[in-house]
Amino acid sequence: MLKNISLIILNVLLLISCGEVKKQEVSNNESKEITIYTHRHYDSDKTIIANFEKETGVKVNVVKAKADELLQKLEAEGKQSPADLLLTIDAGRLVRAKQKGLLQPAKSEIIEKSVPKNLRDEENFWFSLTKRARIIVYDKNKVTPEDLSTYEDLTNPKWNGKVLVRSSSNIYNQSLLASIIANNGQDSAKQWAEGLVKNMARKPKGNDRDQVKAILAGEGEIGIINTYYLGKLINSKDSLEVEAGNSVGVFFLNQQDRGAHINVSGIGVAKHAPNKEDAIKFIEYLVSKDVQEIFAKANYEYPVNKEASASDLLQSWGDFKEDNLPLSKLGELNKNAVVIFDEVAWDKGPDAQ
Amino acid sequence: MLSKLKHFKRDFNQWSLLTVAVALFVAIPLFSILINLFSGVGNMWNHIVSHYLFEYVSNSIILIIGTGLLTFLFGTSCAWIVAKYEFPFRKWIEKLLFLPLAIPSYIVAYTYVGLFDNGGTIIRVLHSMGLTIQKLDFMNIYGLIIVLSFSLLPYVYASTRVMFLSFPKSIYESSILLGASNKKYFFSIALPLASPAIIGGLFLVFMEVLNDYGAAKYYGINTFTTGIFRSWTMLEDLQSAVYLSALLVLLVFLIVGMVAWQRGRKSYAIKGNKLQENNFQRKKLKGKKGVFYIFILSIPLLFGLVLPVFQLIIWGVQTFDEMFNLDLFWTALQSLLVAFFAALITLITAVALIYFSKWNHFKKINIFKRIGTIGYVIPGAIIGIGIIKSSQGFITFFSENFNVSVGYLFYGSSLVLIYAYVFRFLSVTYNPLEANSLKVGKHISESSYLLGGGKLKTLFKIDLPLLKGALASSFALIFIDVIKELPLTLILKPYKLETLAISAYAYAEDEMVAEAALPSLVLILIVIILMFILKLDKRNG
Repeated sequence: MLKNISLIILNVLLLISCGEVKKQEVSNNESKEITIYTHRHYDSDKTIIANFEKETGVKVNVVKAKADELLQKLEAEGKQSPADLLLTIDAGRLVRAKQKGLLQPAKSEIIEKSVPKNLRDEENFWFSLTKRARIIVYDKNKVTPEDLSTYEDLTNPKWNGKVLVRSSSNIYNQSLLASIIANNGQDSAKQWAEGLVKNMARKPKGNDRDQVKAILAGEGEIGIINTYYLGKLINSKDSLEVEAGNSVGVFFLNQQDRGAHINVSGIGVAKHAPNKEDAIKFIEYLVSKDVQEIFAKANYEYPVNKEASASDLLQSWGDFKEDNLPLSKLGELNKNAVVIFDEVAWDKGPDAQ
Repeated sequence: MLSKLKHFKRDFNQWSLLTVAVALFVAIPLFSILINLFSGVGNMWNHIVSHYLFEYVSNSIILIIGTGLLTFLFGTSCAWIVAKYEFPFRKWIEKLLFLPLAIPSYIVAYTYVGLFDNGGTIIRVLHSMGLTIQKLDFMNIYGLIIVLSFSLLPYVYASTRVMFLSFPKSIYESSILLGASNKKYFFSIALPLASPAIIGGLFLVFMEVLNDYGAAKYYGINTFTTGIFRSWTMLEDLQSAVYLSALLVLLVFLIVGMVAWQRGRKSYAIKGNKLQENNFQRKKLKGKKGVFYIFILSIPLLFGLVLPVFQLIIWGVQTFDEMFNLDLFWTALQSLLVAFFAALITLITAVALIYFSKWNHFKKINIFKRIGTIGYVIPGAIIGIGIIKSSQGFITFFSENFNVSVGYLFYGSSLVLIYAYVFRFLSVTYNPLEANSLKVGKHISESSYLLGGGKLKTLFKIDLPLLKGALASSFALIFIDVIKELPLTLILKPYKLETLAISAYAYAEDEMVAEAALPSLVLILIVIILMFILKLDKRNG
């Protein structure tokens, strides 16, 4: 009896003391501390943050979760939110955060100079940090680059049973369809999605890497994937992944007209940021040439800062023309894209039609 | 009317009040979700109904039936074999059968693709042996059933095994004396007697299945939970997501109702003396039957443990240089601490709720203890939102009325997170503990009351020591659940907290499955160590 009660008391004390310690830490560092809510979780980011802390003396707290959950958290916390910055792996969530009034504009010449206009919010509520292109990888033995041209052409019956793509719950697919809606209109985008479902090699499943492996296994001939996943495959420690990565060719679509679709990871200052000044300093740091190169090289992404260079692998795929559609459009049309995906039963695949 | 009031006065005691208080405190997030229901369905509701509601419901039901059958078959038969028979390595196998629980099911889902999909490990092995199989496709609903069943099987195994072990020898002897065969004893006596434990275990399996997000999403199967996330995050309609959660809760109430109906007014108390219990002899397994029984035991071990761990080790070796560092150690330590406190507090809450409601004579309020135990079925993310919203209320209340800033308690410490775990995992311990306390029956505690022992004294001196084994296994189950938990941890964790599950998830989510292997393996290791400390295999705790 006594043992049990003393155990309980001990626990309560421990819990309270945890809280106390946290409180002290918060009050001591109040002026020199920023908190980032982030959906990115790459080890390269850790190095970048550690360097920033060393250079500026500003401590960086990181809260990692999915973007949607972070948005919800920001909204629920309201004025009491400890967050200074919101970092996501797509522009759509930043657009939504802006619409919900969770961000505030950040004025900085350094950022404006480093991030091209189409890659940031018109009113400076958010900025892109890195780019990825949504490309076609093709089976080098069965497909020649001359067969490929545009996203629109993927619905051509010649690709019947040959297209590999993941499910519609993936944000990069949603952004791609949103860009098609923005460029061609809602109806034509729906027709495109319908046509693509007919051409699918199988029911959508797995992730981008799995699509490339399926090409190697001969389940399909072309796959729609993001550039950086191919970079990771080719540099994987698993020999099969390397083989899969090397068995496919890279093709950037729509080079004769609007350019290949790109999606970005980006950042914005939280509406109730306790330390806006240092938050902006952190963004400036992230878009500077040197940091952009670390970002880009470690994760096989394209830097947004034109002065920074991409990794050798990405350079070997050649320069490409990118779709200059304002990224805010992707966020605004994201929901329309999901509705279309549901209407054409994308996730049920070719057999359901 | 007057007589009703009299009854109320007679039956309502301090324990009734405490039952209600504990249940309500635990259920705060549920209320904040319920309040949301009054604002009506969201604008995408029609779209959801016309495009995939049917698919959500039917897929979820298929999953429940499939996993229910598999876990029942293998869970009870494995429990029976290890409880009643003696064979080489029995003690080891007995312990190993708990371990599949230690691997998060979404990680198991990834390992199956790593093993059996195009160019998978097993496929490569088969190729080198001259067999040309291209792949075994697990990425469909049947594959998902297999993955979930073998990773959740220990829930049924654990609760059923404790039950089988606790049968006194006298029952078996009586039934044999009365002419029953072994088979008949199993089907007519042992299985029905164990049914509260089996159903308790199955209930946990169903809840986990309904709550699974990672595995279903990766395999491209739409379920209730993936649907809730789709309407919330992609269709931007939180309101409809809350409605879908409410439908899910309804489904669970249906299951809970069926459990209660099955239990009915039957008493499952078993009387027997301890001496008899300790003295029973396991039969030696031999002959054809022995081989068959060992085969049955090996299936869940192979699919739930050996194969996934084998693949994880391959990935772990590949990524060892970059992943094995001091960070991993700190992450593991934090996971341990959080899971320990969460499990302890959940256990205390469950015991309080069970015994307070037992001592309360006003039976109408027993409905309240149910309220406190349905957190398990509501998707973690939705609970998270409910908790943030209600803690928001607390913070505002304190800052407006007392000018005290308590925000740091909510954002800086793990208090809220642990509270959330208690809400979510209460039923993990509540149902099996209740089943076991039913087995102890009223007679022992009533004798103690008669002899002048107070309620609390009886609880600590008599009831809890009798439940030691069940308490230990409950603690372990919650501990394992917490250490694997994802959505709640992601939403509610203080920024400094980093757990193994979060670390593994973050890598897997971004298609770096191999990098997720080492944190997962450490997680499994922690669970193994825990099992040795708690001696889960010793039936008397």
